Amino acid sequence: MAALDKKGLKFKEYTMTVERGKIKELAGAIGDPNPIYSDAGAAKAAGYRDITIPPTFMQVIDMWSGVLGFEEQCRALEMNPLKVLHGEQEFEYLADIYPGDVISGAARVANVAVRTGSSGGMNIFKLETRYTNQHGQLVMVSRASIIERH
Amino acid sequence: MGTVFSAGDSFPDYKKAPVSRLQLVKFAGASGDFNTIHLFSEAGEKAGAGGVIAHGMLVMGMVGEAIAHWVPRKALKKMSVRFKGMTLPGDEITVSGKVADVIKNGEETSIICKVTAKDQNGQVKITGSFEALV
Repeated sequence: MAALDKKGLKFKEYTMTVERGKIKELAGAIGDPNPIYSDAGAAKAAGYRDITIPPTFMQVIDMWSGVLGFEEQCRALEMNPLKVLHGEQEFEYLADIYPGDVISGAARVANVAVRTGSSGGMNIFKLETRYTNQHGQLVMVSRASIIERH
Repeated sequence: MGTVFSAGDSFPDYKKAPVSRLQLVKFAGASGDFNTIHLFSEAGEKAGAGGVIAHGMLVMGMVGEAIAHWVPRKALKKMSVRFKGMTLPGDEITVSGKVADVIKNGEETSIICKVTAKDQNGQVKITGSFEALV
């Protein structure tokens, strides 16, 4: 099975700067009115030194990285885009993230499983991405389960 | 941070405005996820969804919004979700959460909480958990 061969695959490490405008854009699209994502004063009152990121923001730098976008993921894992589902997602928060931070994202295929079932089989790719800031500090870890239906 | 939590405590339900097609376009641009099943009816139909469906990550974003409404954003240490059902334009998401466990470790107290996102018909979109240092 070609899918099983993807285990251990490492995506090219990428670097993205956290942008103030993208933080505001994501919060706006979600409809999240929390002022800590747009107002530095409100963020400072909440214990931050500047505005910070919504809990799901790392998706933005993944998707815009040119490495982990939806189409790039489909190509790298040889998935049919119309058969792809996001099964699970986990984020672990290890340090604060601010606009201007330069984040390096290192993603790999931690595991692959192929399931067969009465309603059709599926490939399940477990991706893990580790995010390090410009000071070399590990700030977040993402674990995703991507499903490709057969 | 002041609040004392006990296992079994529920957070107030957090209700969102209906998901709109325009919101899916905005979310695609903001997130960079241009999977066409979220944008074009033909693609959603080809994928067997009957039309466009919302990004799972949009609904997870709403769950994150609710959590940061219940506990300080800074307190959030981990969030895990499982995507259970498709969200369609017009669906109204309500996020509910409750404390499953309180863990004391020296000076620090962590809460482990369960979280669920459902639509107006009670259909489950997301189940998951989060951990916060309180």
